[in-house]
Order: sequence, then structure tokens, then C-alpha cells
Amino acid sequence: MINRQPAFRETRTEALTSIPLQWFSSETHRSQRKPEKGASISLLNSDTPESLVLKVAENRDKQAFRLLFTHFAPRIKSFLLKQKVSDEIAEDLTQEVMVTLWQKAHMFDPAKARLSTWIFRIARNKFIDKVRRKKYVEVDVENHIQMMEAPEKTDTEVIHNQDKTRINTAMEVLKPELKSVIELSFYQDLSHSQISAQLGLPLGTVKSRMRVAFQRLRAELGDY
Amino acid sequence: MVPEDKLSNSGENHLISDEWLVSYAAGNLSEAKSTLVATHAAFHPVLQRKIHSAEAMGGALIEASETAEFSDGFYDRLVAKIDIDNSQDYRPMADNSSKTDPVLPQPLVNYLDRGLDELKWRYMGPGMRQVKLHSDSNGEKLWLLKAKGGTEIPSHGHNGHEFTLVLQGSYSVDGQLFNVGDMELASDDIEDHRPIISEGKDCICLVVTEAPINLKSITGRLFQPFIGL
Repeated sequence: MINRQPAFRETRTEALTSIPLQWFSSETHRSQRKPEKGASISLLNSDTPESLVLKVAENRDKQAFRLLFTHFAPRIKSFLLKQKVSDEIAEDLTQEVMVTLWQKAHMFDPAKARLSTWIFRIARNKFIDKVRRKKYVEVDVENHIQMMEAPEKTDTEVIHNQDKTRINTAMEVLKPELKSVIELSFYQDLSHSQISAQLGLPLGTVKSRMRVAFQRLRAELGDY
Repeated sequence: MVPEDKLSNSGENHLISDEWLVSYAAGNLSEAKSTLVATHAAFHPVLQRKIHSAEAMGGALIEASETAEFSDGFYDRLVAKIDIDNSQDYRPMADNSSKTDPVLPQPLVNYLDRGLDELKWRYMGPGMRQVKLHSDSNGEKLWLLKAKGGTEIPSHGHNGHEFTLVLQGSYSVDGQLFNVGDMELASDDIEDHRPIISEGKDCICLVVTEAPINLKSITGRLFQPFIGL
């Protein structure tokens, strides 16, 4: 039985309208108050994470890098700390993620993923490599892109700004029992059977909760 | 006939179900299972897209994270690192994953760092050969099976789940046909699992065999009837 279902049946659910960019608001104010020596960091309203990465890729732009650092690094570290690694390891890994972002900025394509997705992937792979010490092959992203039927919508910059609100909202509306399986997966790096042991639930229940949670979040957040 | 719930995780379309994709994306899978899932996904854009969605959730969870403080001088040390990188006549790093294989999907080629013709197959039983790829301390194994067309795999029970992904050829079990790209998830309590390889060319499968880790299962393992895995 060959799987003949169309590759991309899913429909996107977002209907986002133009929302003013406030992506870096707090960081911008801070850096405007206390500029780097000799460098005035100002964030134009047109700056998105993606445009900043582009500047890093094309011009080796350190101001752009600094802005990306200011926004992402403290969040990456905090995300890693949830995986119960020491502060030192969390900093080491965050440093590696940021160095990778600097080195591979040219490989990031905003038409294919959000920057936060790309950063998550880098952080996950570093964590698996350095902490778990196992091989973890990546799904062939390039191949994936070639097979895509249509280019992704390019309203990404609007979507980014809403990431935080959207995931928070989506997680909030998720029932607690569904939320917990997602959190245990992403924050604590637990397998299905570990989650089942931790929550004292049958394995089948854990799996079905994960399926339902994923479907709900996906419906809420869209595919991309 | 295998009751439907015994195959619940692969479903009618022979695709692995979402909880495995979420765990793959979150980085929770073992080496064997992550290799299996990534290789399976290489056949199916719909799975790639779901993994991408789940990774986007990971990204959004980073976005939504609170902000941690850094130790003194963290940023300066980071900049010192990228300055070294700069001084080395920066060139975008070439993609060195040039190795490809006509049969094996790219994630598996990347994992093996070899193509199909470079694998050393070992005798496993009449009409069957195997290559062991990885085994975990908990007894989980990742291996490749090659079976000649028409081979009837000896009946066996399972101590733990057995995941089988078809890479070439096809086989049937209990009246269901598994083709290239299809995944069969055989439950741990199937007592009589008897796949039959379709006539024609060799069937090559990527297999993950779980072994239970609880003590009770040790006696079970002694009787693990099949192929010495």
C-alpha cells in the first residue's frame, strides 16, 4: 500500500494582518541608552531577525550580530537550563550556537524557516552532540525544499513578531495534561517511556496525548 | 490477522505517527530511532513538514523563554571567538555531504557515511543477510535486513517493538503489503509475526528492534527466537 495522500494537504490557518514591528523593543532601548564604544546601535523598524542574519551573512555585520545575541542568547541559555544542564554547560552551548549562527548565517534562508526554528535546530543538535553524545541525523532539509510544491508565504516577518504571543496563547489554551507532555519533551528531553514513568501514565496514553497536543498546536500555530 | 490496535502507531497509510515526529524534533529519540525516523521522513514530504512544524514549536518555545543572565565577559569571549573565525579569511563552509546513494535516502547515507555497495552483509538465515549498525546499552538495535524475493521470514515473537522501514522491494504480513518508504510497527505482544518477502528483487529494510529493559524481560530475552539480535 503506497501512501498516495497528497504531500501538503494541510491548510494554513493563520490570517495575520500587518502588525507594527516591536521585535526588539526592550533591547533596543537598552542599547540606545548604553551604546557600545564607538558604535551606535540602532535598530531600524525594518530590522527583523532574518534581515539581521542577512547582514551577518553578507557584511559580517557585528552590530546586527549583537542585536541577535541580545535577543536570542539569553533565551537559548534559559531554554537549555531547563534541560537540567549546569550553568556552565548552558553557557558553553549557547556560545556554540551563537558561533554557528555567525559562521553559517549564509546558509539560513528565510523562505524556508523562521530564524527561531533554525536556532532551535542548532541548539538541539549541539545539546544532543555534546550532552547526550549520540548521533542524530537530520532530515534532509534541502531535499525537503526541492519537493515543496510552492514557495512558503513570505509574510514571515509579521509572524515572527507574534511568535511569543502565539506559542504562549496556544500553550495556554492547551489542556494541562496535553501541555505537560509537550513541555516534558521539549524542556526535559524525555522519551515516551520516561514521560510515562514520570507522570505515572500508561505509555499509550502518553502517546495519544502527544498526538493530540501536536495536532492542536499545529492547528493553532500553522505549519510554518 | 493482526488486530488493528497492534499496528496503531503506523496506521493504514504505513506512516509513523505524530508522537514520534514530535520526539524526533524535540531531540528525544535514541540514535537508532532518530535514524529510522529521519530516513522514513526522507520518503514523505508530509512527514518532513510535520517535523518542521514541531521544530518551529521548539523555536517558538525558545522565543517564549525567559531571559537568563550571562557570566561576566560572556559576550566579549564570544566576539573573540568569532574574531578568530574572521581572521581566517572567512569563506562560507562548503556543504560536504556529497555522498549519495541510488537506494538509500540521504539521512541514512549521512548516518552510515557509506553507500549500499560498501556495506558488509552477514549471513542471517536462508535467503537473509544483515548489517548491524548500532546497539544501545538498553538493548535497542538498529540494523539492515536484506532478504531475497520469496523468502518467508521465520515466525517470531517480539520482546519490544519492532520498527521496519522498507528501502527497496516489498513484503507482506497478514495480508498487508509494505512498499518502499512504508513503515511497519509490530507491537511487542505480537506472538506470531511472519513477513513474506515479495517475489522479485531483494527486499532491503532498516529495522529497529527494541529490547525491554525491565528485569522481568530477561527470561524473555533468553528466548528471543530470531536472528540473535
